[in-house]
Amino acid sequence: MVDLLQQVFNGLVTGSIYTLIALGLTTIFGILGIAHFAHGSVAMFGGYLTFFLMTSVGLSLVPAMVVAMVAGAALGVVIERLAYYPVRMAPPINAFIIALGLTLVIEKANLLMFGVDQVIIPTPYTRVFDIGGVTFPELRVYVLAIAAILVAGMTWMVQRTWMGMAIRAVAQNRATAILMGVDVNRVSMFVFALSSALGVAAGVLVGALYAVAPGVSGGLVIKGFAVLILGGLGSIPGAIIGGIVLGVTESFSSAFVSSGYKDVISFLLMIAVLLVRPEGLMRRGTR
Amino acid sequence: MMRHTFLAAAIVAAIAFPMLVTVNYFVHLAVLSMVFMIVAQSVNLIQGYTGYVSIAQGGFMGIGAYASALLSVDAGWSVWASIAVSPVIAGLVALVVGYPSLRVKGHYFAIVTMALNMVVFIVLVNWIPVTGGEGGYPGVPMPEPIGFGDWAIEIDSRQAMYYVVLAALLLVMAVMAAIVRSRIGRVLLAIRQNETFAEAAGIAAWKYKLFAFSAAGALAGFAGALYAHYMGFLSPTPFSVDASLNAILAVILGGSGTLSGPLVGGLLTVLLPEMLRVAEVFRLIIYGLLLVVVMIFLPHGLVPALVGRVAKWREARDTGASPARNKP
Repeated sequence: MVDLLQQVFNGLVTGSIYTLIALGLTTIFGILGIAHFAHGSVAMFGGYLTFFLMTSVGLSLVPAMVVAMVAGAALGVVIERLAYYPVRMAPPINAFIIALGLTLVIEKANLLMFGVDQVIIPTPYTRVFDIGGVTFPELRVYVLAIAAILVAGMTWMVQRTWMGMAIRAVAQNRATAILMGVDVNRVSMFVFALSSALGVAAGVLVGALYAVAPGVSGGLVIKGFAVLILGGLGSIPGAIIGGIVLGVTESFSSAFVSSGYKDVISFLLMIAVLLVRPEGLMRRGTR
Repeated sequence: MMRHTFLAAAIVAAIAFPMLVTVNYFVHLAVLSMVFMIVAQSVNLIQGYTGYVSIAQGGFMGIGAYASALLSVDAGWSVWASIAVSPVIAGLVALVVGYPSLRVKGHYFAIVTMALNMVVFIVLVNWIPVTGGEGGYPGVPMPEPIGFGDWAIEIDSRQAMYYVVLAALLLVMAVMAAIVRSRIGRVLLAIRQNETFAEAAGIAAWKYKLFAFSAAGALAGFAGALYAHYMGFLSPTPFSVDASLNAILAVILGGSGTLSGPLVGGLLTVLLPEMLRVAEVFRLIIYGLLLVVVMIFLPHGLVPALVGRVAKWREARDTGASPARNKP
């Protein structure tokens, strides 16, 4: 039982990071129908930048993370304007190829700017809480808390603000949204800024928990897509549930089956969900 | 007419290439390009002609490569037999995984196939007793000599392998042309354009999609087998998702849904990163930027763009003046 609870906690922590990545991917997909493959390398850019700001500029963790999120948001807007905007009318596969090109560019630019070594974002949180045999490392608790706050903030924004309503309107029916006076250009820039900032936050959390390294971004973005499939493309509650399901499945399979094949188990789960409920766990089948 | 002249010239040039260019490195790049053209053709069949984007072709290439290596080394088969059987194995795997995967469409299908590729990759890395894991699988032999009695052609050099792969590529092109021009090819195009309508017209679309996916898997497996016996050493790296994405890139760059597009694209995706070595540090950045720029300005790929140019130029020549000059 203690073992089970421990794995559930571990799964929640990694799952919350997947959710952050997936939230960005899912809103971008909802608005523009683009599989934004470069999202993972934007996240890694943020992780590296945070590390750089902390070690070379001397900022402490939270201000460094905020600056990196703002920089990530700016990068997101640049990507949207320069790369995706020109192909908004072309078939989706073209945008996908552009995303691949961008991934290469950002990934290699990261290497040029920050070097090839893997870096771990330094944190002072080393305490470990023990509640009834289940261990809660302080850092992991904070990661979960930060992710939860960001996810809650994003949900609030989408549900309660004018911009959030515009985002939902464009996702539901682009043409009608335009007729109702929504400026689609502004919405898509905003979505890219917001998503990239969330992605950067995920990158920083990954960097603090594990490491920021070349090659991490690919795995991260694929996990993000897996969450989308589990939860349903374009659905925000789906991204939350999907992230938790994926994280917990992973921690269970690496603890009780095999850590080498944990990804195989997650992907099999994803394929199974897709076949039984192609619209995802959290989406009512309308399309 | 011009088409046939061009085709004949291309074949003659391909046959003459290793005799004219003796630098091993260039012959090596040419062999890799041709292997990659076959993978690109496999992507072309499922994506260009059927409209389903598969990010699993790198994985099928890996299945073909390891199957052929295992058959020829561990099972002691002749290399020719291994190369002939491994596409069948890759095709059967594609058939089995394609049946459930093809029930979904669009982005979903792309992501499922990407996951399949990752599963293949993880198995190649972790199934160490069979595949050697990341340490690799050494000692994959080159094909045996072909011939009867005293007369035989030894296949023991890079040049000889060049001709084996060239022959394989021509075979693949012939098969592709046959598929595309048959009734099946027309049905596939109909599915690409409007699957619902094709089904309404009485076509069992799932059979044709499954055929296209299995045949594409077999082609990629064939390319993998050739790669295995050419390189002599296998590791999981060239069969990751990156390989699948590169193959898609080749098809899109060259022009998807055309027979010659993947050839041009395959050549470019192997050569461009090598040519850009001059600017070592910025190599992949430039490559990535090129992709973005090509996609924005030539959304249908190079071959259709060039064909369009030539057609326009001819039209202008036949009417006596270019449209631009007609303006007052």
